Amino acid sequence: MIWWLLIGMTIITFANRYVFLARTVRYQPSDQVKRFLSYSSYAVLTAIWAPIVFNYNHNDGLSHAGSDYLIASALAALLSVLRVKSIVVVLTSIGVFFLIRYLS
Amino acid sequence: MLETRSSQSSPWRLSLAACLDTLPLAIAVIPWGILTGALAVQVGMSPLQAQLLSLLTFAGAAQLSCLTLMGAGASLSAIFGSTFVISSRHLLYSVVFREHVLALPQRWRLAIAFVLTDEMFAVSQAHTHKTGQFSALYALVSGYCFYVVWNLATLAGIIAGDLIQNLDSLGLDFAIAATFIAMTFGELRRFPIVIAVVVSGFLSVALKAYFSDSYIIIAALIGMAMAYSVKEEASNKSGDKRGQKT
Repeated sequence: MIWWLLIGMTIITFANRYVFLARTVRYQPSDQVKRFLSYSSYAVLTAIWAPIVFNYNHNDGLSHAGSDYLIASALAALLSVLRVKSIVVVLTSIGVFFLIRYLS
Repeated sequence: MLETRSSQSSPWRLSLAACLDTLPLAIAVIPWGILTGALAVQVGMSPLQAQLLSLLTFAGAAQLSCLTLMGAGASLSAIFGSTFVISSRHLLYSVVFREHVLALPQRWRLAIAFVLTDEMFAVSQAHTHKTGQFSALYALVSGYCFYVVWNLATLAGIIAGDLIQNLDSLGLDFAIAATFIAMTFGELRRFPIVIAVVVSGFLSVALKAYFSDSYIIIAALIGMAMAYSVKEEASNKSGDKRGQKT
């Protein structure tokens, strides 16, 4: 299973990088297609992190993973909006995350 | 400055400039490389497989999402689907590079494609704007500098992940959340991106319990479509105001 995963991941990531560098490919994506694709990383990354912090199911409704997750995520979001460098955002919020866990 | 002069002089100086320009970005991803290596071992890959994931795919966000999904027990098709969507932004870079590299031999195009990342694209584009011409050598060296650092960081993570037994209780999943928040919230001043983030975030939380395999793709595609449509409407309504933004 893991070997198939490695093979599949390799093919998918390489294909996305190489397709328009191949001479046989004549298709030129329109501006609309390019614009649609330009939102992909934001949409996918959010769809991955949001369920780490928040949970929802039919019985319990909306809940969160814990105040440590919630506070540190809010801090990361705030710092990022203020255009603090990504690496500083990540290290600071992880630091705060562990500080809260240590204190509580 | 250095690379402006060196682009006319020797390939060695051009290569050196490419490495030096790439280094700050490469250093910035070291923690994420370590995280990727540690997490890969944590979710059940052998050290060899964990290293191969970085050696073969060389795609941080796709690797982290793959490992997150794998840890949650998702199917291969679900992992491949999210990998495709998440790495589809490379199609854009590939489109931009196309005109520059189409005349090059195939081995050059294959080699450049293999190391085409967000960071290499950014550094190479900056160099192109500065010097007025695209340098395939510069792009290639920048890409492989990044590749070496990423894989060494992964190796460090594999070693650390092997030594520390209970990584899951350490809150590594928060490190992923923090990383991805940092990568998305920096651009939240652009309205369509706000829509992409809000819609896909809301939907992923709402759908996870019901579509444990496919919630990422469903949420992301709807988020992208919504972002696309709001931009379209805004520009249709105020066609003449569009120029002010750029």
